[in-house]
Amino acid sequence: MPELLEIRQLSAGYGPLRVLHEIDLTVRAGERIGLVGLNGHGKTTLIRALTHMTGWQQGSIKLDGAEIGGTRSLGAGRRTPGLIRRGIGVAPQGDAIFPGLSVRKHLECGAHTKLAWRERRQRIDRVFDVFPPLRPLEHALVGKLSGGERRMVSIGRMLMTEARLYLIDEPSLGLAPKISQRVMKALWDLSVDGAMIVAEQNVSLLTGHADRVIGMHAGRMRGDVGHVELV
Amino acid sequence: MSGKRFYKVGRRPWELRLAPSGINERQRSRLPGTRGHWLKWRDVHNPKTLRRERVLADKMPLWWTLGLSFVAIVTPFLSNSLLSVVSIFCVYAAINVLWTLIVGTAGIFSLATLAVVGASGYVAAAANVYLGVPWPFMLLIGPMVGFVFGAVLAAPSTRLDGLYYALLTMGVAEICRVFVLQLRPLTATGGAITQVDSFIPEDWFLQRPGLLLGFAGAFLLLLGALLVWRLVNSERLGMLLRVARTGREDEAFAEAIGIDFRRARLMVFVISSAALGVVGAFYAMYFRSISPQIFSLDQMLMLFAMMVIGGLGRAEGAVVGAAIVTLIDKGLIELGPPRIILVAFIMIGVTIFAREGLTGARAQFRDFRNRKAGERRARRTEKGGEAMPEEATEVHDKQELYYRRFNKRLRERLKKLITPELIEEHRRDPLGHHSDELARVLNYFRRGEMADKYVIHRMVPAEEKFRVMAVSGQRGMPPRVIDDREYHDIKEAYHAVFLLRVNDLLES
Amino acid sequence: MDLGLIVYALNLASIYALMAIGISILWSSVGIINMAHGATFAVSGYAAWLVTGALKPVIAAAFGKTAIASAVMAGALVGSALIAGALCGVIIYLLAFLPIHDKPNFQVRALIVTLGLNIASVQGLLWTFGPRNQGLPKIFGFGRWEVFGTRIRYDQAGTIIGAIVVMGLTLAWLRYSRRGLEVRAMMQNAEGAAYSGISRQVTALPVLMLTGALAGMAAALLSQTIFVSPTAGVIPLVKGLTIALLGGLGSVPGAVIGAILVGFLEAIVGVIPFLGQRYVLFATFLFIIAVLIVRPRGIGGLLDDTRE
Repeated sequence: MPELLEIRQLSAGYGPLRVLHEIDLTVRAGERIGLVGLNGHGKTTLIRALTHMTGWQQGSIKLDGAEIGGTRSLGAGRRTPGLIRRGIGVAPQGDAIFPGLSVRKHLECGAHTKLAWRERRQRIDRVFDVFPPLRPLEHALVGKLSGGERRMVSIGRMLMTEARLYLIDEPSLGLAPKISQRVMKALWDLSVDGAMIVAEQNVSLLTGHADRVIGMHAGRMRGDVGHVELV
Repeated sequence: MSGKRFYKVGRRPWELRLAPSGINERQRSRLPGTRGHWLKWRDVHNPKTLRRERVLADKMPLWWTLGLSFVAIVTPFLSNSLLSVVSIFCVYAAINVLWTLIVGTAGIFSLATLAVVGASGYVAAAANVYLGVPWPFMLLIGPMVGFVFGAVLAAPSTRLDGLYYALLTMGVAEICRVFVLQLRPLTATGGAITQVDSFIPEDWFLQRPGLLLGFAGAFLLLLGALLVWRLVNSERLGMLLRVARTGREDEAFAEAIGIDFRRARLMVFVISSAALGVVGAFYAMYFRSISPQIFSLDQMLMLFAMMVIGGLGRAEGAVVGAAIVTLIDKGLIELGPPRIILVAFIMIGVTIFAREGLTGARAQFRDFRNRKAGERRARRTEKGGEAMPEEATEVHDKQELYYRRFNKRLRERLKKLITPELIEEHRRDPLGHHSDELARVLNYFRRGEMADKYVIHRMVPAEEKFRVMAVSGQRGMPPRVIDDREYHDIKEAYHAVFLLRVNDLLES
Repeated sequence: MDLGLIVYALNLASIYALMAIGISILWSSVGIINMAHGATFAVSGYAAWLVTGALKPVIAAAFGKTAIASAVMAGALVGSALIAGALCGVIIYLLAFLPIHDKPNFQVRALIVTLGLNIASVQGLLWTFGPRNQGLPKIFGFGRWEVFGTRIRYDQAGTIIGAIVVMGLTLAWLRYSRRGLEVRAMMQNAEGAAYSGISRQVTALPVLMLTGALAGMAAALLSQTIFVSPTAGVIPLVKGLTIALLGGLGSVPGAVIGAILVGFLEAIVGVIPFLGQRYVLFATFLFIIAVLIVRPRGIGGLLDDTRE
């Protein structure tokens, strides 16, 4: 299978703080990868570094062979919209929702390509099929929804265009176990062409579904290629 | 310096560095009545010459002394018009320094500074003209009015956010202007109070001796303002506020450790308002009149432009900005409106290019240079073991950087050596005679840092039952158990440690 | 209260609302407190004066003194003011947004740059055109209507209707167009907007042009009542800013309500015998300060609280 994402020697951090230490990771098309690790070990920073949202970063990131990384010490978030338009879909930690927009408008925001905008009705329907609880809430303000519904809206916004790489940060964070299982099930049932990286603290939600589970510890990868099994 | 001659290297070869003898005790005189020293001399170790050197850590006092004495010495020889320009500069600089205290130290974005000056000037002038109070008492009435006005103004600042408060104070200035214009006794003069008594005798007014006296007064006023700034910043109040300076998080932190920063801010506000009251009284005396013009938006913007050009929140910025703007505004008066446009363009240019005004340009340039150097270094070395730009500027000891780079390269080489055969060799005989490759790897493990190491713990005395623990690397912190696996042979335990270290090596 | 007073109050309120909405939208979406809004106002007024002055003989020659002539004149006046306002927005974008939008202290620095632009353009106008007031052609004519026994001047009615139409169009644009959706998304959560592929650099330009055009519209409408002068922008700027604050920065309904409140307050203070016109500003500021001390986040905060 072709390599969709190739990360080489990626370091990133905020100001004097260095969070990621020379990460190497290769993701093939169609893979679903689980990223496991405790709080503060760099899962979110890795996902943010892929969209240039960290304070500074260094190292090469190749998406479909095109270089999107590089050394940068300022300008967080400046390239993010451009990268999103190149085919990275993100459901960020904390959802980053627009509290004063309705669910429908919210999903329309996600349809940023020309094609997606033209087909937005069908696509919104498709999101509602993935997350049936959202259908009756179509015109409700997102600021008034519950945590689980917000998470669904956030993931739904990501699904409005076909991205080649989906990044989902902590889909179960702050949700009741039942709801988080439902969200995860919807995620695993998605049929996507591209790859998906799910950062998650709870390993049990990943096992059996993810093609590969990669551990993160203190800003480094654990348990991927080159690992020597303990006796 | 004796013996070998050293060539000066580095970025500041001209910097004055004393060579303390090291034998005699260090003599430092203190400021009378305080515990402070005159100048901030610091001893540093020069790693190149291995000598002790004494450097002046804070050079600002020297620059202040030079600049202020230059103004004091040169001004009396200037022409009459320039003399009054310099005097006005001193007054504006004094106002700006006190405003800096409010904006920088207290962090309150107030635009009512000139309103305080104007209000106290008006009351003092009115007391002199209508009540016949002699002029020295005006310098007492001014600060009292400033104190009260400042207290009233400061009250809402705890409730309102920065911009809301700024707009509110702008409104207060406007209210003052309208109020003064409404006053019936002043309608004949268009709201101005004239014929104010002054420290400059009446027949000297606008004559050479009067101007000189006026300059002397204005200069003393500026010195006084700087003294107030210095005292507030270096004493308890300023120190408390420095904790809560930059952001909301700092404020929360200050609050958590018991600093009532809101009260401290109000105190600073009130103190500088009282000082502004003195300036107001002086203003009325210097011009022998005071007009509603002082409350106008244009005047306020002019002062704001001074602060912005010099650097918001710095005393030296306030003075430098006042010098530039006053020179353009009053010195090039024959130019007409274009001079204001010039000031506006300087203001725009400085704001776009400089982070903190002209006086902050030097530090900004240094940051920029360090960042670029760090980025270049990061690009040059192909990877790893190397600090990122920000980090590189933080790490003082550059040896550390090279050590890291060396270590990284070493690790890369050792990683290639690790093969299943090597591991098998160690498993067979952890303590025996090893091949060259294994010996190299083990050597590297041996000289690692304490925090990376593991120990083997015999669980029951005199019994073959071991487990592996990780050393914390901190004094007093016991090692922690890493897994519950037990080994019944010391060699197995040795090998387990070896595998752990190999794992760590491969992951690094 | 008689009808004339209400019309006068609404007249003031519509101008203020146009200014305040522009400031409010700009602040919440791009993060600039636009101190150059007053300069935009004055520049648009002068642009309209220049264009109408130049076109007057042309239009007179082409259409004579017909209704078409005055319609074309009105179109030229409003159009030139709108275009000039939008161009001012582009200048603000180039100077106050683009070079510093991802640098530290952006908000304070943008405020300072726009302030500098304001000073520079006011002085520039003063230098080029002199301090004289310039009258613009009256596009609504000079007549009055008799409604319920009071007389309403055409220009007042025209101002109110024009402002309502423009504000309606703006709100509709924000509500229904795709660009408007992006602006609203950016107003509410900048990070979420970035993750939805909405670029701040791209979206800021139409926002600045829109708010500039709003100021231009306010200038065109106000020029029907008073003259154009270099310092004409100062009072609308101060009023617009304070009303945007009163409405709670970032809240469009709050700004409209604030503008209506202040319009009525000014109209009423103006006719109270022992206060009169000279105390209008005084009363406005006192009112706004009082409201802000009681409700630090203004009317918008109040609206949010009731909605919760």
